[in-house]
Amino acid sequence: MTVNNTIAHQRLVLSGDRERFRELLRRRLIECGWRDQVRMLCREAVKENENSNVTFDMLVTKVTPRARALVPDTVKKELLQKIKTYLLTQKDQ
Amino acid sequence: MNDNGCIHLNNFKAAKGTNPYKIVHAFFVSCTSFEARRYKATSCLCFTCGKPGPRMHSCLHCIYFACYAGHIQEHSKSKKHFLYVDLSYGNIYCAQCQDYIYDRELNEISISHKLKEAKSLGISMPFMPWLPNSNEAMALRRLRKRRLISPHTTIGLRGLQNLGSTCFMNCIVQTLIHTPLLRDYFLAEKHKCKAQGSGKCLVCEVSKLFQEFYSGAKTPLTLHRLLHLIWTHARHLAGYEQQDAHEFFIATLDVLHRHCMNGVDENGEKKENGRCNCIIDQIFTGGLQSDVVCTSCHGVSTTIDPFWDISLDVAGPGSLAACLERFTRAEHLGSAAKIKCSTCRCYRESTKQLTLETLPIVASFHLKRFEHSSQIDRKINAFVSFPAELDMTPFMSSHRRAVDVGADNNNAPEGVFEDNRYSLFAVVNHVGSLDAGHYTAYVRQMKGGWFKCDDHMITRASLREVLDSEGYLLFYHKTVLEYDCDAA
Repeated sequence: MTVNNTIAHQRLVLSGDRERFRELLRRRLIECGWRDQVRMLCREAVKENENSNVTFDMLVTKVTPRARALVPDTVKKELLQKIKTYLLTQKDQ
Repeated sequence: MNDNGCIHLNNFKAAKGTNPYKIVHAFFVSCTSFEARRYKATSCLCFTCGKPGPRMHSCLHCIYFACYAGHIQEHSKSKKHFLYVDLSYGNIYCAQCQDYIYDRELNEISISHKLKEAKSLGISMPFMPWLPNSNEAMALRRLRKRRLISPHTTIGLRGLQNLGSTCFMNCIVQTLIHTPLLRDYFLAEKHKCKAQGSGKCLVCEVSKLFQEFYSGAKTPLTLHRLLHLIWTHARHLAGYEQQDAHEFFIATLDVLHRHCMNGVDENGEKKENGRCNCIIDQIFTGGLQSDVVCTSCHGVSTTIDPFWDISLDVAGPGSLAACLERFTRAEHLGSAAKIKCSTCRCYRESTKQLTLETLPIVASFHLKRFEHSSQIDRKINAFVSFPAELDMTPFMSSHRRAVDVGADNNNAPEGVFEDNRYSLFAVVNHVGSLDAGHYTAYVRQMKGGWFKCDDHMITRASLREVLDSEGYLLFYHKTVLEYDCDAA
């Protein structure tokens, strides 16, 4: 992370906009069914390892690659565009 | 998985209480104040490697920040501090149990901080999934008779007999029955009526109608009781001749709105600001802002009026968006219509602009296809295209103001987080001439499933067919519903 990146990140946290973006992302992922899809992936993973003790870290390693691939492009695009616009308007001030 | 934590966490709580968690959570997970955000912005870096991640954690024993790429584990091992908090989600990891653990008491703290954070940032409440309480769970278990709702189900669809030129009523009833939020309200039996059984309450009648529609029976219904009730309460519609569907729609909303007052708790139906909070107003009422600007002093006089529908001129523009654009454009009132300016204290020329201050959950558009004047009554068949998905943002007061001020400094992301998308769920059409016409309605049963309701006949329809129809009344439902911040 460069100095500029750190400052941008700190500003995002400070203004509360990071949380706003996060909430927007969370909402979009629920709306498009991503959350339910990931829930099903987790269920499968737990069922496959029924006999052993499934930990959070095991689930993360197992599900993350597929979960990431499932995020719709429209959601990625919207977030990217909104964050970009936001950062550009911040730069002017 | 349970939410009783683990023995290690319980021992920690017994020794130090919940305060360490509370403090870490309020400052570094869900910031409940500006001060907290300042701390979080500047100090959430790994004490070992100086990086902001991945997956920052804080030691619950000594508030040591470290990343999950090995440093928090190192700290935990060397200091024997076994509990640490994930700073993104607030979950607690127990290094002795080697997994995240869940504790009801700490979870409640986490939720209350999240709500506080949402409130302090002015964003809507975070999503919480529905969990049935013990009563609801029991009711679900006791219910033996179940109906499977598949994508091809036709439950909720029933034809309506024509009682002699009553297609204007049938198409509006089909629309109301297929209004998602209204359906949820009535199927949840939310209308508690004082006048129950008197046969005089239209809301009770509609409530019964919903039960009829969803009973699973397929024979067409006869709406004589409903018609009679409307005749009694909206006298101008009484009679056997064909009526205007739009007029009937507005009259029906008005009677329903008045009868909602039969509800048990009168205070509960009113908001503090005196505005009606009945289900009709919750779903159908929006706020129309009118700005009158004096051309001499540029003083603005603003009024906001409630509306149930928007009537649009169809001559000229070829699409719904164009109609709305024209509806919300600033209009010069001319020298013949001077208005008294309160700043100048005299009559001045002015401009007037209508915009949408608040949006209703159901946006109803009335395309003015019937022209009545002293000389001639005629129907305008002009083609107006309308979309299946509509974004109302461009017609909002806040947006128009930003656009009019200019693009200089005002492209700030105001309203970036507002979601004003709508989707089409019903279209009422008028076919034929002014005096010998017929009404039909297209309704959306489920997302993507359209049906044409022509009195007692219900036939499957395609979205293309709906969008190609002429369109007289268009009904759009908000895609994303916000939580009411006041309710929490």
